[in-house]
Amino acid sequence: MAIRYWPMAAAAVGFRLVLVLFGGDLHLASRPEVSTPLTSLRRLAEGYWLKQASVSPYSGSMYHGSPLLLSVLGPLTNSRPDGHHAHIYCSLIFVAVDFLAAMLIRATGHKLQMARNRSLKSIDLTKAVNDTVNVSAGDVASLIYLWNPWAIVTCVGSCTSPIENLMVVIMIYGACSRLAPLAAFGYVMATHLSLYPVILIVPVILLLGYGPDAPPPKVFLIKGSSASKSDVSDNDKTTRQRAVQQFSWKPVLHFIFWLFILSCHVLLLSSVILKKVGGLHEMFEKTYGFILTVKDLSPNIGVLWYFFAEVFDFFRNFFLIVFNMNIIFMVLPLAIRLKHRPCFLAFVYTAIVAILKSYPSAGDSALYLGLLGLFVNELAEMQFTFFLFFGYIGVSLLSPVMHNLWIWRGTGNANFYFATGLAYTCLQTVLLVESVSSMIKHDRKLRLLVSS
Amino acid sequence: MEYIVGLLCRSGSANPLFSTEDAIEANRFMKGIEAVAGDSRGVIGMANFIAQQIEALGAEVCYHKFLPHSKNFHPLKFFTSMTNDIAVQPNGTATNFGINTIGIVRAPRGDGKEAIVLVTPYNSQRVQSNELLSLALGFSVFSLLSQAAWLSKDVVWLSADSQFGEYAAVSAWLNQYHNPVFLSHSVVLHTKMYGANHIYDGNSEKTEVTAFKRAGTMAAALIFKVGETRRYSDRDSVMIYAEASNGQMPNLDLLNVVHYLAVHRQGFRVNIAAFSSLLSSAWLRVIAEILHTLGSVLRKINPDWKLDIAVPDYVEGTANLANSMYNQALGVPTGSHGAFRDYQVDAVSLEFSPTFHVKNENAKSLFLLRGGRLIEGVSRSVNNLLEKFHQSFFLYFLTAPSKFISVGVYMIPFALLLAPLPIVAAALADGSRSMEKTVDKLIDNGKADDIADILQSKGGSWKWLRAAKVLLVIQLWAVLVSLLPYYITQIPDATPMQSALIWAVLSIVVLISLSVLFGSPYSAGVEWKLLKATMITSISIGLGLMSIINFATAQLGALIVIPMCLFSRPLKASGMNFLPRAVLLASNIAFAVLGFPPAALLIMKGVSKGSWSWTIDVGDFWVWMEFLWEWSSATYLYLFLVHLPCWLLCILVLLHPCRQSESKMKQE
Repeated sequence: MAIRYWPMAAAAVGFRLVLVLFGGDLHLASRPEVSTPLTSLRRLAEGYWLKQASVSPYSGSMYHGSPLLLSVLGPLTNSRPDGHHAHIYCSLIFVAVDFLAAMLIRATGHKLQMARNRSLKSIDLTKAVNDTVNVSAGDVASLIYLWNPWAIVTCVGSCTSPIENLMVVIMIYGACSRLAPLAAFGYVMATHLSLYPVILIVPVILLLGYGPDAPPPKVFLIKGSSASKSDVSDNDKTTRQRAVQQFSWKPVLHFIFWLFILSCHVLLLSSVILKKVGGLHEMFEKTYGFILTVKDLSPNIGVLWYFFAEVFDFFRNFFLIVFNMNIIFMVLPLAIRLKHRPCFLAFVYTAIVAILKSYPSAGDSALYLGLLGLFVNELAEMQFTFFLFFGYIGVSLLSPVMHNLWIWRGTGNANFYFATGLAYTCLQTVLLVESVSSMIKHDRKLRLLVSS
Repeated sequence: MEYIVGLLCRSGSANPLFSTEDAIEANRFMKGIEAVAGDSRGVIGMANFIAQQIEALGAEVCYHKFLPHSKNFHPLKFFTSMTNDIAVQPNGTATNFGINTIGIVRAPRGDGKEAIVLVTPYNSQRVQSNELLSLALGFSVFSLLSQAAWLSKDVVWLSADSQFGEYAAVSAWLNQYHNPVFLSHSVVLHTKMYGANHIYDGNSEKTEVTAFKRAGTMAAALIFKVGETRRYSDRDSVMIYAEASNGQMPNLDLLNVVHYLAVHRQGFRVNIAAFSSLLSSAWLRVIAEILHTLGSVLRKINPDWKLDIAVPDYVEGTANLANSMYNQALGVPTGSHGAFRDYQVDAVSLEFSPTFHVKNENAKSLFLLRGGRLIEGVSRSVNNLLEKFHQSFFLYFLTAPSKFISVGVYMIPFALLLAPLPIVAAALADGSRSMEKTVDKLIDNGKADDIADILQSKGGSWKWLRAAKVLLVIQLWAVLVSLLPYYITQIPDATPMQSALIWAVLSIVVLISLSVLFGSPYSAGVEWKLLKATMITSISIGLGLMSIINFATAQLGALIVIPMCLFSRPLKASGMNFLPRAVLLASNIAFAVLGFPPAALLIMKGVSKGSWSWTIDVGDFWVWMEFLWEWSSATYLYLFLVHLPCWLLCILVLLHPCRQSESKMKQE
């Protein structure tokens, strides 16, 4: 599959620019699928206005984002050129941010590809595996990210999701290329902006410790034992032993050091920004507290809003704990099963977060679908792809129609819209389960190929 | 539901208060306005007279000036156009404007949160006696309601100036009512309407009249007008129109109330629109006869089966149903009630057809009495309702004014039509399944030597991606084609014929350039089975979506599209006996011709005319499409984003060279 990368990437950026400059009537910012209470730029503008008026940006229940964004994007929301929509400068920044994220995904893909080729070479399977499917994963992933309609809609739709996504991508790139400070920066910022990436510490540490994705250690052991039976030169042996990486503590400690420094830095900056207008305590309550306690029940593509609108008040706290723990529960088992593929683990975590987070949006899906492209070679045998592809298309068309039916026409009700959300969650779950199981199948295939 | 309807009817029909005195009042009003209409002052004079009369009743009054709204196609504003219009264009001056006169009665027992709207359209430029009669009717009901002590909802009487069409007047007023426009001072000065200032001349409370006045949320709206006199009928009749944009209907309860009061209390004959060609068609009568005979036989077997529908009932019901479906599928409102539905207000239009001559005073008084009582009854029913009409009964087709087919019934055949699509798609897309299983088996057995060979021959489970690419390119083409009219309409002085030809040529050019850009659909070696699977999946998504937006369109579209999809098979594909292959071929070609929108339109026109001598006029297609997008009908989107790509894919499947499968067979 020959992909002309640069023309396609340039076309994607051009398309975004065209939509930003001439698509003022799309009203994407008001779509519940695109902007959530956390990421809406309209709310950010309101928060900035409050702050300018020497009131806490968190007063009322308008703004729930980071104070750093307030001082970076805030001034841009104020100026409004004639003939364009309100947040044109921010949108232009988001286009650049998206492009940067795509470039980083591409670089990550190249790193993964190199690691993959190295490990396949060390177990002598390059020919058997690479002959079937060998496409440049980085290019594919980055193009998926650039051309994903949801990423485009998120980018054009005036919400801060592209920045959150960029931070996650920076973290993964930094960890893949073992740049501890960069990884720490991405991690701290991503956590600061949207809290949920906090669980990504597991894949980051694994990446820094073991290096990028490789076949399971068992494969190398089998190869090693079968090789030791026959006569092999010493040179080969040493490369194989090097392929089975030991956990190296140095980059991890480096990462933790930088994590500490940067966290302090971010907190300090936030408290400086919020100095006279509420303090850090209010920030934690209105951002993380707002995320964890699901206070805003306006409809979105997730399922939590409906659930918490229906649940009895005295059960509310219980279910809050249940739903938040749900994410935590999956961290450890997946980490144990996929510890040899930390990058894939990061993808799985982002997908789980996108399914279970309290205010999901299309931007979250755009991120994990982009990351999914990184494993295009490993997932070549994935099942139900046809069904999933058209399912995603169907749901993303159905969702606005159901919303219109409920809110504007009045011939439907909340259940209609919620049903789409439910279908969407099911699709995401199927995608996740299928991708994990086909990755495990891929590993099993490698083992069988080696042992035979 | 029936309980609510029963309750409404009882409350609405309790001894009507509309008396002969009100009828006399109406006559007096009519004489007055006739005198004014004959006057030279025209527009302003009539509005002024109505306003004076309303003020004399002690009700509030205001005017609403509006300019004709030029409808044009704007692709990005397809669904949002209703809310973003500015009624007054900010540039230029206008000499030609309409004036709606609005009277508001504040409910003595209400809190002003809800309102009932009565609308009487009249053409201020060319006044006709029947329109004056409907104004008189409106006024007399309004004057009765202004004295009613039991009123709990405000009553708004809108006498809509329909010189630019009824819909334009009502929708301009509704737009101003719901989306207030705050124009800067300079803009207001700029759009000075000449003559508009005369209106306030002899009026001391100038500011009070100029200000736009509002009542509460609209609970329901009733549009009534007196139509042309019909001599041949024995009873005065009422025609009910209910279809709003995109097949939306008002709540069935409102129709039921109107029907019940009109038929059982006031003795009107109630009609809904029907396809007149079906009423007189012979074949429908034959089918009805057969069904009737079958039904009566069945009735003899079991008296509980009431299947013997009388022949005229069946024919009339079918004609009504066909018209109801057609109007819903077209997605264009049948009257000014459509403007209300855009704001989620239930509304229905009543057109009275009196059987007397307008000069006949006695008959006119009687008619006014009965019409007034009907409208009073409906208003009382709505007035006594505590909540908005419940949302459950919006989806139905009408077969008679009092009979309907509910969504629960009509969804079943549609679901049955749609059901084979996912199954066929899954079967086609899963073609390589058997091969995968062998690989799994081999892996399980540990025969790794063979695995590599098989892996090499296999394209993975992502083979459908190429077919999906073809689909996406075709969808892109369809989007471009549907947007082209926006640019074509910019060409000045183009006849429909020219526009249609430009459209067709541009579409073909775009198609060719896209296939150059992305590669021809066959060059990548797409299997036709996968292409068909993709097509079927996309069409099931499209039809599913459309059935939510506008069911009637989806239902009618499915009748053509689904067989077209399911039968499609490459002409060159082998592996079938002669007879089934010939039948498939013939049906394929027939559907390919039928499925092409212009051809379908031509055939439909021929059938509806009933004659088989049509002249081929490409311009008609353009005119028809223009009509659809002017009204922002979702049917336009359906035709171009669902139907047309599907048709093109079908053609692609038909012309598929089948080279790949042959080469594969040779390999095996």
